[in-house]
Amino acid sequence: MSARELIADVLLFGGVALILATSLGMVVMRNAYERLHFVGPTAIAAIAIALAVLVQEGPSLIAIKAGLVAAFLALTSPVLVHFTARAAREWERGDWRPGGGR
Amino acid sequence: MTEWLLAAAILLAAMIAPGVVAVRGTATDGVVAVQFAGTLASLAVLAMAEGFGRQPFADLALVLAVLSFAGTLAFARFLELGR
Repeated sequence: MSARELIADVLLFGGVALILATSLGMVVMRNAYERLHFVGPTAIAAIAIALAVLVQEGPSLIAIKAGLVAAFLALTSPVLVHFTARAAREWERGDWRPGGGR
Repeated sequence: MTEWLLAAAILLAAMIAPGVVAVRGTATDGVVAVQFAGTLASLAVLAMAEGFGRQPFADLALVLAVLSFAGTLAFARFLELGR
């Protein structure tokens, strides 16, 4: 196994371990707001896996595509977490603002 | 090559967690679980594309990421509207 493959494996299984830890957190937490915290780190795992593809393959088409997937996930995941939290609060209280609703 | 397929299998097995959350939790938990599972599925497809050595399959991962973004937005919007 060359050094390049070793680095790729470390990045890949680092990302997979992060995913496993976050999915454990999803099950253990008590309500949706606490669970939302564990959606964020999946973007970091996506970046790690995309870097693993880049290290394994060098500059190639699949590396560009993996980079696009990671960039998209990293850019949209905070937006989604924010919007989901707001929607959840609106669903529970009728208004997302602090002190609003019932 | 085979460690990529192992990683894809682990990622697919990890999707049991959002499944459990979606079955046992409230509607809000379900939306969070769908969001998590969408990311997991697109990463699993990416790992499979690399593992099978089929470079075009990585397009599926990109499309899945974009569609799960739109899908979660739609579900969260319904959560916001339908009480």
